[in-house]
Order: sequence, then structure tokens, then C-alpha cells
Amino acid sequence: MSTQVHATLTEQHVRAISEELGEPDWLLETRLDALEALETLPFPDVIQTPGRTWTDLSKLDFEALVDPSTTGDHKEREAPDEVDVLSFAQAVEDHEDLLREQFGSVVDPQTNYLTALQTALFTTGTVVYVPEGVDAESITIRTTMDSQSLFNYTLVVVEQSSSVTILERQETGSDADGDSRYYSGIVELVAGENSYVQYGSLQDLSEDTYNYQLKRASTDTYANADWIDCNIGSRLTKTSVETTLAGEASESKIVGAFYGHNDQHFDVDSRVWHENEHTTADLVTRGVIDDDARSVYEGVQDVGSEAWNTNSYQRENTLMLSDESEADASPKLIINNHDTEASHSATVGQVDANDLFYMTSRGVSEHLAKNMLVSGFFVPVLDEIEVEELREDVNGRVQDRLQARS
Amino acid sequence: MSSEQDHLKETDTEARFGFKKEQNSAFETEKGLTEETIRLISDDKDEPDWMRDRRLRALRQFHEMPMPTDWPGQPDLTEVDIDEIVPYIRPDIDTRGGVDDWEELPEEIQDTFDKLGIPEAEKNALSGVGAQYESEIVYQNMQEQWEEKGVIFCDMDKAVQEHPDLVEEYFMTKCVPPSDNKFAALHGAVWSGGSFVYVPENVTVEMPVQAYFRMNSEGMGQFEHTLIVAEENSEVHYIEGCSAPQYSQFNLHSGCVEVFVKDGAHVQYSTVQNWSKNTYNLNTKRAIAEKDATMEWVSGSMGSKATMLYPCTILKGPGATDNHITIAFAGEGQNIDTGAKVYHNAPNTKSTIESKSISKDGGRTNYRGLVHIADGAEDSSTSVECDALMFDNESTSDTMPYMEIEESKVDVAHEATVGKIGDEDVFYLQSRGLDDDDAKQMIVAGFIEPITEELPIEYAVELNRLIELEMEGSLG
Repeated sequence: MSTQVHATLTEQHVRAISEELGEPDWLLETRLDALEALETLPFPDVIQTPGRTWTDLSKLDFEALVDPSTTGDHKEREAPDEVDVLSFAQAVEDHEDLLREQFGSVVDPQTNYLTALQTALFTTGTVVYVPEGVDAESITIRTTMDSQSLFNYTLVVVEQSSSVTILERQETGSDADGDSRYYSGIVELVAGENSYVQYGSLQDLSEDTYNYQLKRASTDTYANADWIDCNIGSRLTKTSVETTLAGEASESKIVGAFYGHNDQHFDVDSRVWHENEHTTADLVTRGVIDDDARSVYEGVQDVGSEAWNTNSYQRENTLMLSDESEADASPKLIINNHDTEASHSATVGQVDANDLFYMTSRGVSEHLAKNMLVSGFFVPVLDEIEVEELREDVNGRVQDRLQARS
Repeated sequence: MSSEQDHLKETDTEARFGFKKEQNSAFETEKGLTEETIRLISDDKDEPDWMRDRRLRALRQFHEMPMPTDWPGQPDLTEVDIDEIVPYIRPDIDTRGGVDDWEELPEEIQDTFDKLGIPEAEKNALSGVGAQYESEIVYQNMQEQWEEKGVIFCDMDKAVQEHPDLVEEYFMTKCVPPSDNKFAALHGAVWSGGSFVYVPENVTVEMPVQAYFRMNSEGMGQFEHTLIVAEENSEVHYIEGCSAPQYSQFNLHSGCVEVFVKDGAHVQYSTVQNWSKNTYNLNTKRAIAEKDATMEWVSGSMGSKATMLYPCTILKGPGATDNHITIAFAGEGQNIDTGAKVYHNAPNTKSTIESKSISKDGGRTNYRGLVHIADGAEDSSTSVECDALMFDNESTSDTMPYMEIEESKVDVAHEATVGKIGDEDVFYLQSRGLDDDDAKQMIVAGFIEPITEELPIEYAVELNRLIELEMEGSLG
């Protein structure tokens, strides 16, 4: 329960982290406020159906998982010259005003227990700053987790009329210790007027890692914020990818892909809030689950009362490869403006028997045929990924996993 | 796994029903519903001991259970103060109250009856004036027609007296135990009235069995219980005829419907509900479908201030089928939270859910659904379709389906669309000479056609007419 971590976590830990990063007082205060709020904040909302809480985060032993004294990671950052891609400590030095203005502006540090824990304890992070009018090439950030617990904070600020694609990858390094690990990541994305951002990520953490991530964008007028969120690794993932369409005529696309096997548990949310006129959202998620894996999907399209002329679409498809796997899907529509065209759909099923029969009748073995159909199932989401490197990475991991199927 | 899910999976609640578990809570000190009140109801009805004991047990469970409060977007129930509502029962038992005079009814209800073209005698019946007698007649006609085949169709209170074995076996034991939810427990304690339908093996009841709700009869018509038992290979279509606004001095309706569909049987349960707009309508309706059985729910939810109603079917036997067709209409100040639940607990089971909603003048409609496919329910399929039509910007419409799939050999699909009434469609009809209101009415009639075509013609006509009245806004 929540008080357990708090009992072993002291103000001294937080002050030491803040001092190490050379942080200004306001940031230290934000951390200490978050630490104090732990006592009262709830865990993130999860799907509850009669008799079942699908992802019971309160059951996790955070006291055992989180060791604030041993955080370590390795980071690679590649970026074109015209943008700043900085470590958090460097950003504190170079861009304090920007940080002060934007930190916590999209994701309130006290959203829930886990975001507050993250705010109090984060030791590593990246700040991406794209100045006005820059068409940047792609930025890559690779985080290798080398400790039992890691808290990673990413802030992306894209100014007016700029464009950028960002590719993030999380992995576990060989130095990481402990039987089980905890990774926590927050991404705040501020998309300025008329900007275009695509943020793609591939989560490939070791399968003994508990993973919590919250990514949220806020869009200005005419801005376009697109997310690609691919989940392959971890023991348990609770992730939410969200966009607040705050500016008129802004757009967002949220593309998700996951492939769970063994005893993995994926709880994946996509949320969009239409807050202004002429906004458009498109949510597409495809997932495969095999063995004893479980997947939980919640998609929310919330159309506010001022969101005139809204277009909002959502599709979710789950493919079940084994009889022991379990899936839950809940695509929600919340509509407060009648000038709306909205739809959502969700399907759950196994590999199409007719397709399988067609292929086996053409001499393809059933095993190979099934693998080909699973590869094909991911094509519509892979097609949405603009950066070839990410597309190939994701596809490569899917192929690896299919190869490993017995 | 909680007891509720166990229940829904096994449908064998007898063991966990809590017959032996006596928990002495502090209900004596509750100022609202007390054991004394319950004994009074039971004595008044001259009930056998087992029924009184069930009521008392349900009462204890009611006091132990919390109000549903934290569902996302659920209707606000803070005004539902059980302590304020329930004590009204007692004076009503004494007075056998009701509305003595047609003129005492709220004007909007009188208007509706007039506009529906309902004759004076029937108006009296529907509004609760002399309702007991009118509904008895309805029941008796049915009895004469079918009794030689062994069909039983009577008032639920009478069934307790005349068919105690059947009632004792099925009443809130296997299908809806009082522990299901707070309002099921309340219902178990204070229920009164409703219908009992029993169809023996291989009997097909060719014409729909209809019952009007008797409002205020014995003071508690809004806690009516309907129990339908369709034995193997039988067939029956039951219609709850309450397609007129119900006037009630209470503002809580908490009914319960239990349907048993045995091997190869086919039951259709149709209802058009139009409660008065001060009513909280919190119902529990559930069916258990055995091997190759078919259950069909057809419902229109029109009135009420707030409705929370999710008819549920447990597909217990292989090859069982469930179909839901629902329509909800929410006007000013109304919050209709409705949907469907289906548990696929056996192989080769099929379900379809078709849900339509219309919201207007600040009304709020929710579709809240659950499809559960249990491990082992292979080759099952389900399809859920929801369409919401919105008229203006004060109205809201949400769809919240949940799909829990534990079996891989299945086919599950959900689709929902929301849209405003099509400007182009309205323009087209206007250009053909219809005025704006008529054009919109015609579009709505087309939108709800899948529901109306499932209903017998007189109900379909009434449903259409009720929607027309709502569209005119003449009822406020």
C-alpha cells in the first residue's frame, strides 16, 4: 500500500537527488510537495468489471521495488544541430526559464500516486527544445536502465511552426540488479501553434520490470501531435498515452501496438480530450497476446461542450493466440457536443480460420501461416510510423517473438 | 475473484446466498427501513414463514451494502435518501393509498394519457386509481385461455400463496440474489406485486402475455417482482405494459425481473417504460439461459429522472442465444444510464446487442455494457452495436462498453457511433415540403425502427407516439 514506500522514503532522499542535479529551489519545492502528497493520492484509475480489478497497482510492493539510492542508467541522445536535446541537469543550467514555465504544465505532478512518486524521485531525463520555425530531423533517445528502479522525465517543447519526430527506446542493461524492477516515465509534450510532432516509443524492458508511463500532449491552434506507443517488454505495464486538443483545429493520432507473451500484463490506455472547435482525433491500437498474457485496453474520446465540429475515431483490435490469454477492451465515448461525428469499434478474436485454411492449402505449414498472419495483423499500425528505424525495430521485435513461439 | 463473479459464472447461489450466515448489524437503530416494517408487510400479505425470512435476510444485506457511487459518469443518486423514501411504506399499507381522483394526477401525466388516446377507464387503471381490479381482469383472461395447458400467469403475491413450491425454488435464489446489489437487496425486503409466469414443457404460448403494472396497489407497486419460468422447449413472449407515465408519490422504482429459460426454450421479454420524471428507476433484470435456449430483451426506456438498468443474460448452456434490443430517450433533466450485460459461460453461445439512444434538451444517455466470455466458452460470438443521436448542445451521450475475454476461440465485435441529427437529411425532407419538426420526427422514427418492429403493433404505436410527444416538448 501507498504508505509502505513513504515509510522508507524520506525528505533527505529527495533533497539529495535535487542537489545532485543542481536544481533551483522551485523544483525542489515541487518535489517535496509531491512527496508529501503521496499520503493522500490515489493510484491511477484502472478498469473494474464486476468482481474484478484488472490491474491492481495497489498490490505491488513499491517498498521492495523502489530503491531511490541506487538509480543508474545509460543514455544516448542523437539530434540535429538546430534543436536542443539536453540531459535534465544540463537543461536546468541552460533553460531554467523554459523548465519553470513548462514543467508540470501538461501532466500535473500530483495526478496520482505514481506521478507524484516519479516527481519526487526522478533522477534522469531529457529536455527537447525545438525553437520557432525549425523543421528538425529525427531525434533519438535511448535509455538503458541499469538499476533496480528508475524514474525518467521527458519534456518536449515545440515552438510555433516547427516540426520534429522523436524516437525513444527503453531497455534494461546487464548491470541492473534485483529480481524485479520498477521503471517509471512521464512525457510532457507542448505542441506550439501550427507545429507538427510525432513521438514514437518502443518499450523493450526486461520481463521482470514493472512499468508505469504517462505521456500527454497539449496542442495549440493548428498543431498536430501524434503518438506511436509500442510495448513489447516488461512484466507488467500500465501506460496511458493522451492528448488534450486545446487549440482550435488541432489534431492528434494515437497509434498503439503491443505483443504480450508468457505471463506479461499490459494495461494500455489511449485518451483524447476535444476541448476546442474543429479538432480531430484518430486512435488506432492493435495487440497480440499469447501464452498466459493479459491485455487491458481503455480508450476514451471525450468531446467537450465547446468542441464544435469534432471528428473522433477509435479502433482497437486484439488477436488472441492462446486459450490461456485474457483480454479486456473498453472503448469509451463521452460526448457533450452534438456537432460531432464520432465512432469507436473494438474486436477480439483469434487468427482467422479461413485465412489459415487458405494458406495451409497452399502448402504453408500451419505454424508459419499463423506467424505470417500475425505479422500482417500489425501492418496497419506499422504503416503509421514515419521513422523507418522505429518501424524496423518494432517489426524486428515482433519477428523475434514469433520465432520464439514453440 | 469476488463472490459476484462467482455467482455469475456458476449461477448457483444457494450455497453463498447466506442462509446460514446470520449477521447482526445495527439495523435496529436505522431510522428508515426496519425489521418491524418488513414484518408488517409480510403479515399484511399473509405470507409463509420462508418468504418473511427471505425479506428479513434481504433487509440485513441491504443495510450492509454501500450505495453505488463511483462508477464513471453514473447518475447522481444523492437525492435518493432511503430513509426518507421507505417510511412512506407503512402509512400506505394502512391506507391502501393511491390516487383517489384523476384530477390529483400531475398535469403532464393527464396530458400524456389524453394525447395517447387512452380511454377513461384505462387511464384510471394506469394511473393507479382502481388499478388492482383492472389488472386482475387482465390476469384472469389469460388464465382461462391457457390454464388447461398448465400455464400459470398471475400476480406475484398470489403466486406465493397458490404456487409456493415454484416460488420458493426460484424467487431470488438462483438468478438475482439480494446480495447482487443494494437495490436488489432493497427489493428483496420490500417487494410487492408483479407477475408470475410459468410455462410447462413443450407448450408454446402463441399470443404475447401482457401485464400492466398496478401502481400503488397495496402501496408499493414500484417494487414489483416478475418471475418467468419457461420449461424445456416452451415458448413465451411477456410484455410489461407500462407504456404510460406512472404517477407515484414516491420517487424510487426498484423492480426485479428473473427469467429462467430452460433447454430449448424461447423467452422474449418486452417493455416500454415511461416513468414520471421524478422517479429514480433502479432495476435488476436477469435471465439464465440453458442449453440451446434463446432469451430476447426488447426495451424502451423513456421516462424517469434517472435510470440505472442493465438487463443481463447468463448463457449457461451450450448453444444458448441472447439478443438485446434497447432504446433510450432522455429529455430535459433526465439521465438514462442503461445497457446490457451478457455472460458467455458455455461453448457455442451467441449474443447480439443493439442499443440506440436519443438525447435532447439537456438529456443525458449512457450505454454501459459488459460482455464476458469465460474460459471454455469456445466458438462463442458476440456483436455489440450502439448508435447515439443528439439533438442539441445541452445534451450528452456516453458509451462505456466493457469486454472481458478469457477464451481465444471467439469472435467479439463492438461498434458505436455518435452523431447529430443530419442537417442534410432534415434539409432533404424540408425540401419535399415537411416542416422542421415533422422532418426530425421522421428521422427519429427511422432511427428507432429496429426496436419498434420487434414489438406488437399497439406497443410500437405507443412507443412512436410517446417519442412524438417528447419531441414536441409539450410535456416539459
